[in-house]
Amino acid sequence: MTYLQARGVVRAYGRTPALRGVTLDVAEGEIVAVTGPSGCGRSTLLHCLAGILRPDAGQVTWRGERIDGWSEAARSRLRRTEFGVLFQFGQLVAELTAAENVALPLLLAGTGRREARTAALTWLERLGVAEVADVRPGEMSGGQQQRCATARALVTEPRVLFADEPTGALDTLAGEQVLTHLVRLARDQHTTVVLVTHEPRVAGYADREVMLRDGVVDHSGLGLDASLPGGHR
Amino acid sequence: MTRVSTSHVLLGLLATGPRHGYELKRAHDERLPRARPLAFGQVYATLARLHRDGLVAPAGQERDGGPDRTAYALTGEGPHALDRWLATVEPPMPYVASTLFAKVVVALLVADVDRARDYLIAQRRAHTARLRELTAVKTAPTASLDDVLAADFAIAHLDADLRWLHTTLDRVADWHREVHS
Amino acid sequence: MRPAALLRLALAGTRTDGARVALTALSATLATLSGLAALTVLAVVKPPGDARAESVQYTNALLREPGLRPGVAFALLMLMVPVLGLAGQCARLGAPARDRRLAALRLAGATPGEVTRIAALETGLASLLGTLAGLAVHLIGRRLLHRPGPDGRLALPTDVQPAPAAVAAVVIGLPLAAALVSALLLRRVTTTPFGVVRRARARAPWPWPGLLILVGLAMFAAFRPVGLWYERRHAEPPLWLLPALLIVGSLAAMVGVVAGTGWISHTTGRLLHRYARRPAALLAARRLTADPWAGSRTFAALLAALIFGAGAAGIRADFLATIELHRRIGGGMGASDAFYLRAMDLVDLTVAVAMAIAAGGLLVAVVEGITARRRAYAALVATGVPRATIGRSLLWQSLAPAVPAIGLALAVGYLLVRGVYPAPSGGGYPEEICDAGRQLCGDPLTRAQHTRTEWVPKVTVPPDVPWEHLAWFAAGGLAAVLLTVGVGLLFLRAGATVEELRTT
Repeated sequence: MTYLQARGVVRAYGRTPALRGVTLDVAEGEIVAVTGPSGCGRSTLLHCLAGILRPDAGQVTWRGERIDGWSEAARSRLRRTEFGVLFQFGQLVAELTAAENVALPLLLAGTGRREARTAALTWLERLGVAEVADVRPGEMSGGQQQRCATARALVTEPRVLFADEPTGALDTLAGEQVLTHLVRLARDQHTTVVLVTHEPRVAGYADREVMLRDGVVDHSGLGLDASLPGGHR
Repeated sequence: MTRVSTSHVLLGLLATGPRHGYELKRAHDERLPRARPLAFGQVYATLARLHRDGLVAPAGQERDGGPDRTAYALTGEGPHALDRWLATVEPPMPYVASTLFAKVVVALLVADVDRARDYLIAQRRAHTARLRELTAVKTAPTASLDDVLAADFAIAHLDADLRWLHTTLDRVADWHREVHS
Repeated sequence: MRPAALLRLALAGTRTDGARVALTALSATLATLSGLAALTVLAVVKPPGDARAESVQYTNALLREPGLRPGVAFALLMLMVPVLGLAGQCARLGAPARDRRLAALRLAGATPGEVTRIAALETGLASLLGTLAGLAVHLIGRRLLHRPGPDGRLALPTDVQPAPAAVAAVVIGLPLAAALVSALLLRRVTTTPFGVVRRARARAPWPWPGLLILVGLAMFAAFRPVGLWYERRHAEPPLWLLPALLIVGSLAAMVGVVAGTGWISHTTGRLLHRYARRPAALLAARRLTADPWAGSRTFAALLAALIFGAGAAGIRADFLATIELHRRIGGGMGASDAFYLRAMDLVDLTVAVAMAIAAGGLLVAVVEGITARRRAYAALVATGVPRATIGRSLLWQSLAPAVPAIGLALAVGYLLVRGVYPAPSGGGYPEEICDAGRQLCGDPLTRAQHTRTEWVPKVTVPPDVPWEHLAWFAAGGLAAVLLTVGVGLLFLRAGATVEELRTT
């Protein structure tokens, strides 16, 4: 059975086409980088795969089920339970502390507050930011914020983590720390990661790279990299 | 990349105390994990040159169930030479000297654009594979600081090469289009 | 900076800035209209005669009776309060975008003073446009509405003009005040070249506004004792003293209630945080404690209108009690009773209009809050937080402080009035009653035979608490809050879209 799959996905913003028929397979447990020049449709593909956007045409299947036709509520539930989402910046609720931000998905799932906080603290610890548990995002560094956001994306132990330029707003070292933690934890938990980036250095964290160009997968040989022969994993 | 001055690296390693040749080789390979490993012959040749220049001196012999080993220590002049080296700024990229760069230029000169393109694509694939390998080394939970620093150094250069490869591919495509239309 | 350059920069902006300027101008127009209307009513000249001489040229008793005209003018001036509140809310519309623009100006080398002047100028010019428009509408309206009836009487005081100096004071003074207030508000904003940093208040609000409310209540309660004190000494109190008691007292109470909302927000936020089980309540609780003054800012005009309304309800209850008293002991105002109650209906209408305007301000504030956070909301929606949860958190966030604040405003408004008016009482005096017909009683000779003296018992009619009235006001206030949250949710639907998250 295929794990996560896009078949001929088309999506436009108004009259501007972003995706013109993308076909892509993501296997369980692999880390895939989606790269390409600005405006190639990387983020849109991620949003379609994660069920945030509905494609105009084509299919998105998740473990054999087509999710592109699901209602907003059903897709919300899927994103809350099976998927985790991580953005470039600005995703933490400014008024909540780090621990509360991380606990939010668990509270939504109906977990009790005490239990949710314990889990949140564990994940903050794993990402090396336990010291900011009771601090609000405005008082953290960008790297700390992004690590909290990563903890929030992983706290529900999702099967797939979607990360859209997760280090785009960070300096190199902070970005490396976020990615190192993210990749290590994903491998430990056997979480699949779809990583959107324009930086070769960030794409280097993936097992495989898919390059988009003008809304389609670039098959010119440049975009398709087989995984390393006898490489990592 | 300019050649690393082995003699100065050895001076630096001896600054922490006297060592004999084998120890120096081990220390070198450990501290510079991603560098080309040092050959024994090179260690002894370099030590001999440093001795001739009066920067190191033998500091006693040691017999350890094998052949004689001569330990070396810095002379009074040694630290000064090391200081001078450390204080000298490396000329930043004095020449654009890279086989990668030369190959692309020559490919465009003697072959057609497609040839250059094919080469660029193959090279990019190799670069990406190496980048991924080094990233895996770096993110391994067992990686030491020296491992991470060495991998960082290599990754930064591969990253720069890859960016250049991308840009060049786009430029070549544009140039091709301009010439053939 | 040259004035022309200053002007150009003050007028540079986006569509949101345009909307803010338009709304600021509109509220300035409304404020000018009510201000000029009040001035016109005050300009009606009292005809010669005793203190009760009526201006017979008007059909409306509210304008005819000299004793009522100040009340009418006061009610019209009161309308300016929610209108100015609306203007204050409008100033917040698109503020983040404007702040970014101001920061860019700082980056380009403008001094903090120049940036403040630019922002103040924008507000001032918008208000000036508004007041000029208001003046024009007033002048045209006067001409159009000047329609004497068949008997030559007028429905409105279109035959008098307010003093030119007073008109100028309104038309020029309002924009100046608006510019000053805007400069004052920017004082709390450190405009650095790298974006605007609002200094966050780390301290929780103290319940000092409670003290202000008590002072206001005390001043109203002191109104009669002070008057009696002078009476007992056969002296007239200074002319300013009694009005000052009422004006300062009502201002103190109003500021107390509005500022007290900050404390209420913080406290309800803390309580909610302690007992919240669901994410919606938790989000609302944290937002309330993070910026407790947001509640004060948003609800200010609504609360002012409610205080006024509760006061009016108190006065009406007092009228009703007085009518009841007269019914019991005889005598009374007769036909004028009905007139006073009609006048109170007019006051209630004013309050309703004020609340509607205040709801407009509330809406601006809610929409502004949502658009300012739309990226965070979009991110929450993307990570699978249902929009309903965010909607519920907005509802919690608005209602949790609004319910106690509305209750407080109504209680304070009612108690202020009760402080001034004691329960109407009468009787406690002897009365001569002539039992015979008019002819016998009219003749002083025969009258004495038919006359008996009867003791009229002392009767006090404590006015009923106008629960029904107050409940209507409370319902109106809550409806305004609910309505604005509802409209806000529509904006949330449009705002929290995934487009906010695009990085490429």
